[in-house]
Amino acid sequence: MKKDLMDILACPICKGDLVLNITKEDEKEIISGTLYCSKCNEYFPITDGIPNMLPPELRE
Amino acid sequence: MVTITYRDADIELDENVYDPAEDSYLLADVAIDVAQDGMHVLEVGAGTGFVSAVLQTNVDVDLVATEISPFAAECAKRNSVEVIRADMFGCFGSDTKFDLILFNPPYLPTAEDEKIPGWLNYAFDGGIDGREAVDRFLEEFPPYLSDGGIILVLISSLTGIDKVKMHMQGRGLDVEVCNIDRDCFFEELIVLKGTFKASEQL
Repeated sequence: MKKDLMDILACPICKGDLVLNITKEDEKEIISGTLYCSKCNEYFPITDGIPNMLPPELRE
Repeated sequence: MVTITYRDADIELDENVYDPAEDSYLLADVAIDVAQDGMHVLEVGAGTGFVSAVLQTNVDVDLVATEISPFAAECAKRNSVEVIRADMFGCFGSDTKFDLILFNPPYLPTAEDEKIPGWLNYAFDGGIDGREAVDRFLEEFPPYLSDGGIILVLISSLTGIDKVKMHMQGRGLDVEVCNIDRDCFFEELIVLKGTFKASEQL
């Protein structure tokens, strides 16, 4: 995902702000990492450049 | 891996994802007509990413897409679509606005015993009356559409075009029928274009 996606993303549970933690990126985008909601204490993983913003019960 | 080319966009398909068909081509064509350079565009339920990929190849838009299926999200990503795994609008902050929102919903009337296992069911299953997904979309879109923004919704005659049209009008949209696909024998496909009048925003 591109970094500027952070401007429009929010926690799918509480709509609060997210904290980005990058573990791998290239010149174009973030490849892996997490988005963390401190209010819900929930991590949303970024895998192969795709943020998974599904609430845990839909994630499978 | 099967790749198709449409309006200068190359789209890779995936066996676990609904293949682009007449509905996808129709929505892509109308989206290219309606979109303007610089617009912020959202496609809900991108599937292979066909509509988004064709649109961003032909118009200089700033596009993101949501998709619930992991297979479809990966396929859309391979097709250079900025995709987020999310349930419709679930991932967006409350002040996020788009100028154009595209939706090719699962619209086939589907009984319990007609459901198919796995993620592919999301591509077809419109609930008993075919309008479950489109009705939910119409309930949820208003906070995410800018003043004067446009939604394009693909609908089949199997889904009840008049009922969807009335629902859209009830959500503060001016509705027009954008295009009619004449090549389908078992159903009529149309794109409903809804324009948000700022003064009537909910």
